[in-house]
Amino acid sequence: MQPVISVRNVVKTFKEGGKALLVLDGITFDIGEEFVAILGPSGCGKTTLLRIIAGLEKADSGEIVFTHKDAQIGFVFQSPTLLPWMTVLENVALPLRVRGTSWREAEEKARKYLSLVGLQSFENFYPRELSGGMKQRVNIARALAIEPLILLMDEPFSQLDPLTAESLRSEVLDMWQWGVTSVRTIVMVTHNVDEAIFMADRLVIFTARPAKVAAIIPVEIPRPRDRRSPEFQKIEDKVYEYISA
Amino acid sequence: MGILDLMVALGYSLARMLVAYIISVLLALLVGTAMARNKLIEAVTLPILDILQSIPILGFFPVVLVFFVGNLPKPFGLEASAVFLIITSLVWNMIFGVYASIKSLDPSIFDMAQVYSFGPASKFFYIYTPASKSALLANTLVSWAGGWFFLTSAEVISLGEEEYKLRGIGTFILESFNSGDYISFYMGIGGLILTILLTYIILWNPAIVFLWNLPLLNIKIVYEKLSSIVSMLWNFIKEVFIFIEKKITVPKVFSKAIGLFFAVFILYYLLNSFAGLLSSDIYDVALNFARELPTSLFHVSLILIISFLLSLGISYATYKSREMGYIFTLSGELLASIPAIIWWPLLAQIALASSLGPYLVSLIVLLQGAAWYLFFNIIIFGLSNIRREHEELAQVYKIKGWYFVRTIFLPSIFPAVASGLLSAWGGAWNATVVAEYVVLSGRTFDMGGVGALLNRYTVEGKTTEVALTALLLSLVIVIINKMVWSRIFSRISSGYTGE
Repeated sequence: MQPVISVRNVVKTFKEGGKALLVLDGITFDIGEEFVAILGPSGCGKTTLLRIIAGLEKADSGEIVFTHKDAQIGFVFQSPTLLPWMTVLENVALPLRVRGTSWREAEEKARKYLSLVGLQSFENFYPRELSGGMKQRVNIARALAIEPLILLMDEPFSQLDPLTAESLRSEVLDMWQWGVTSVRTIVMVTHNVDEAIFMADRLVIFTARPAKVAAIIPVEIPRPRDRRSPEFQKIEDKVYEYISA
Repeated sequence: MGILDLMVALGYSLARMLVAYIISVLLALLVGTAMARNKLIEAVTLPILDILQSIPILGFFPVVLVFFVGNLPKPFGLEASAVFLIITSLVWNMIFGVYASIKSLDPSIFDMAQVYSFGPASKFFYIYTPASKSALLANTLVSWAGGWFFLTSAEVISLGEEEYKLRGIGTFILESFNSGDYISFYMGIGGLILTILLTYIILWNPAIVFLWNLPLLNIKIVYEKLSSIVSMLWNFIKEVFIFIEKKITVPKVFSKAIGLFFAVFILYYLLNSFAGLLSSDIYDVALNFARELPTSLFHVSLILIISFLLSLGISYATYKSREMGYIFTLSGELLASIPAIIWWPLLAQIALASSLGPYLVSLIVLLQGAAWYLFFNIIIFGLSNIRREHEELAQVYKIKGWYFVRTIFLPSIFPAVASGLLSAWGGAWNATVVAEYVVLSGRTFDMGGVGALLNRYTVEGKTTEVALTALLLSLVIVIINKMVWSRIFSRISSGYTGE
């Protein structure tokens, strides 16, 4: 497998009340053109690693190597993080505009990705007029609109109600499977075991803090996956073994 | 003096106000943003601004004047110092408004900007500016009045032997009064009142009513036209900056060098003026200051108590009746704006009537410089804090009258009362400079106090003594802020906010 992202011996400590708190303790693994889920107990540092990959934080030591030096990265935030004073269309077009695309071109592209997430008729709405699920769709459309090679998702379904979360999961999987976007690599952070097995090609399981890689488990079940199938159950049991260890 | 003179004078003053306002808005956006986004700037600027907003800037005015007139061609220097003075009465609360708005943004918005590589201009125009808009407008309501209140003090300045006069409505009114031309005097006051009311009714009130449902008299048509022009202009500036940002990258070293240059420049001036202060008779000035301080402290405390009671009363009336609200807000806007110096000739009958007269007028002037800060703070930030469910609770359990005021009304507006009191406190100190000493038709009224002392030094042309006294007063105010106000604030924020 040709790696797209190589995580090399990443160490990160946080200072809390004068004490140094080790969060990531030498994380190493490769990510190729695939859907990887990073799984681990709450507060173990999964999100910190994702933020380091995105360039939002710096590692104390170790490095993140991107094979394609100028690879674009899209980021789906846990909460929608939309600007309340801009319409849905403007919110999605903004990252493109900031990169120097003209408004007209940026909005054209934004429209394309808004219709991909099913919000074409809501482009002139303001965020406060949308439901939680719709806002998260805008968040996803914004990440896709810059046509990234890599898509990072930080617990993207954790703040939605179960029904909305389930339908959004299927939509993201559909887009991924049919290759209608520019995305070749997805890295998703989650603490939901079921969600990780349902969606990802490989699971990277972290130990409790300080996080190390406990195991990397491939999920070779064809999609769409049936949660009640014995293969699914088998992997689920295996994951829980590592997490509770 | 005729109608034409009056119109020209009004034009000059209004232009001065507008220039000062525009500079203040830009300054507030830049400084407020820098404070909210840079820890170092925040640590340095926050305490300085805290001092600047509560000390009598007016006391430092002669120093500023000498600086500007000495460094610029004279007419330009006079204008610059007048505009500078108006800015100092507009800008502080606006800076704090911008700072607080950006500070209270969801932190993940900054992550978003970083992930999608927003440059400084993109962040400023797409995030910081729109986020601060409502705070800027809310503060404009108070600031605009503060600007008018001190406008005339900036137009007529005597510094020792020399008297500087700028063309403007303040000069117009004072000159016509002093020359006994009462028709012009009343015309001038009428024109000023009309201008103040007009700027509120067609400009600020509609702008604010667009954001909050407050009882403010307003006419929307002019504002709508003007705001579309302004936003077109702003959009143009925005697009230019975003375009430039994409084409040119300024190396970090360059911006650091500029910052260093300014720091050295400011430090040089501060050290220079400090050396000047040391050369004067510090002991003598300090003694005079200590002698006058209790008088001013008494004036300011008395005004604060009156302001407190008055504001609570009319705020409650505004809350109870929208019609009363319209009357109070408009009179507040007007009374807070009427320049301090105009009150004296306007109430000359009272001032000259008895020996107590001047004190009464002095208190009225002080009250205008303080009470309205509190009132507007309460109606903008306090009344919106009274929750619907608490009102319903009161309705269901028939909580009425004084009991309602004590258990629901007062606790809900308390945080706004506290921050309003702090502004009123700063405003009152600033107003002492114009309320404790005045020359009216050749007669000098000296009520005593630090404000009067500052005036006496100014008249004698002792700029160094003025600066030193203002510095001492600032020190006292800062000490009181730290010892009294910060305690009140921490108590309120732990007891009256949140669920």
